[in-house]
Amino acid sequence: VIHITLIINIILCVGSLAWGYGQSGRESFALWILIFGAVWLIALWRRLAWFASVGLLASILAAALGLWLGLSPAWMLAGILFGLMAWDLTEFRRRLSLAFFEDDLVGLERRHLLRIYLLLLAALLLSSIALTARVKFSFEWGLLLAIVTALGITHLIRWLRNS
Amino acid sequence: LSRPILLACLICLLLLAGLATLRGELLAFAIPLLIYLLYALVQFPQRIDLDIQRALSAERVHAETPVTVTLTITNRGAVLDNLLVEDRVSSGLKIISGSARHLVTLRKNGSFTFSYTISGSRGGYSFESVYTEACDPVGVFQRAQTFPAAGQLFVFPEVTRLKFVAIRPRRTRIYAGSIPARASGAGVEFYGVRDYQAGDPPRAINWHASARHLGSLFSNEFQQERVADVGIVLDGRERTNLFRGGHSLFEYSVLAAASLSDAFLNQGNRVGLLVYGSYLAWSLPGYGKLQREQILHALARAQVGASSVFTGLEHLSPRMFPVESQVVLISPLVGEDLNVLVQLRARGYQVLALSPDPVAYESRILGLTPEVGLAARVTRMERDLLFRRLQRAGIRVIEWDVARPFDQVVRPALRRAPIPQHMGRIV
Repeated sequence: VIHITLIINIILCVGSLAWGYGQSGRESFALWILIFGAVWLIALWRRLAWFASVGLLASILAAALGLWLGLSPAWMLAGILFGLMAWDLTEFRRRLSLAFFEDDLVGLERRHLLRIYLLLLAALLLSSIALTARVKFSFEWGLLLAIVTALGITHLIRWLRNS
Repeated sequence: LSRPILLACLICLLLLAGLATLRGELLAFAIPLLIYLLYALVQFPQRIDLDIQRALSAERVHAETPVTVTLTITNRGAVLDNLLVEDRVSSGLKIISGSARHLVTLRKNGSFTFSYTISGSRGGYSFESVYTEACDPVGVFQRAQTFPAAGQLFVFPEVTRLKFVAIRPRRTRIYAGSIPARASGAGVEFYGVRDYQAGDPPRAINWHASARHLGSLFSNEFQQERVADVGIVLDGRERTNLFRGGHSLFEYSVLAAASLSDAFLNQGNRVGLLVYGSYLAWSLPGYGKLQREQILHALARAQVGASSVFTGLEHLSPRMFPVESQVVLISPLVGEDLNVLVQLRARGYQVLALSPDPVAYESRILGLTPEVGLAARVTRMERDLLFRRLQRAGIRVIEWDVARPFDQVVRPALRRAPIPQHMGRIV
């Protein structure tokens, strides 16, 4: 189940981004995204788990570029969400490979999929609200928010790595 | 790049890009990643609090006997999703069924039990800890911890039962046993004739001798049978045991030591064991079942060792063994060992050398080529010469071609005690 879900997510990720680019007449971009998707699938087949991180990074960069080029944010967001899910499932699949075949793999898979679906659904809702809502932030407030966020995450990571 | 750092970098990248370009959509793109990271942080278990119990179906087994290891893990802390549990199994053991690694979800106060079956070659194995790795439900943060779960498994060498091993040390102990003691008393072996004394049973009267001396009666005397001290020396030197390709004669020597110590202890003797390898591992002499256990434990742990100090047998001090007792050396033997053994013999010890045959063993490993055949002949001659010198010194030598079963070779050779002889001339 995980394997099929993972493949579907990779296809949906590159498909969303390629569709977004294709709709605005940038077929060459769409083609490159599809080629990248094929490479991602080959990497999955060759069990190169690290490539999922490259896939996630690439999907975010492609979405950001698409936004810069004025493409539909909905397709770009969908690309990021499916990319994130593919990245998550790749790690989960690696962890499942450590299990013994008599372990409750079905239960583990079911719980994880349910959890990740709910999480991404919440993320989709919040992101959609953020995309549609128009709140005026001054630049100074925005900058302060970004610095605080970045510092917070950096400290958190440092603390976790030390502990 | 670790997963949390990658996520944090991507979030920062999107936030900074959104602020730099004044595009709110880029900030919205960071939301899924942020939610994902926050969820992982919130759900990440702060500590792993497990209680792990280990049970082994047997702690003392013979080689290749299956042993079931059962681990019960109880979670005393918060819920642990995707907990990886891995029991650390010694490299000398192999898992024949089940798995030592499991991925489970443990609720608070929930427990999980798993078993796996192992088997292994001779050795002493200890189980010390269980490795666990907990992570948040989406696997971003991970925490590894090991928990103590002690256990021990001794895989003993195979013991071939020998009914009787005849030895004849000069000195015996005071307790009744099976070794002729060179003193008259209760026994079965004829010792001599003496004048009849009041109280002698009629069946002890030697009628032939009495008939020759009218008016006198003579009684037969029998040899007392007692127990003796036996010191078994197991040669664990690398130079004598190891051959090309990692082949070793040591396992055969261990089998011989186990079988002989078992036989000597069954006969009631006091037996000690010295493993002569990279150091001297001495099991003090003792009697009975307890001593059998101690010797088997020592043999289970015995290893071939290389040491520049113990290359020869010169550290085999006579003071290690009771005076004039029986010393049994189990060794493939090399030429330099002659002097040490002769010295032991000269000090009054009865020495029995049981030698697994390295020439035949190595010839089989190397294959039958003309060069190997020639080398084997030369080595065989040297070895025969060594044995002849040992025998002339009054040392009993038994050669064992390990291709043949131990008891078949040794039983006929050890059934009868050697006739005591004086030191011969060393050729």
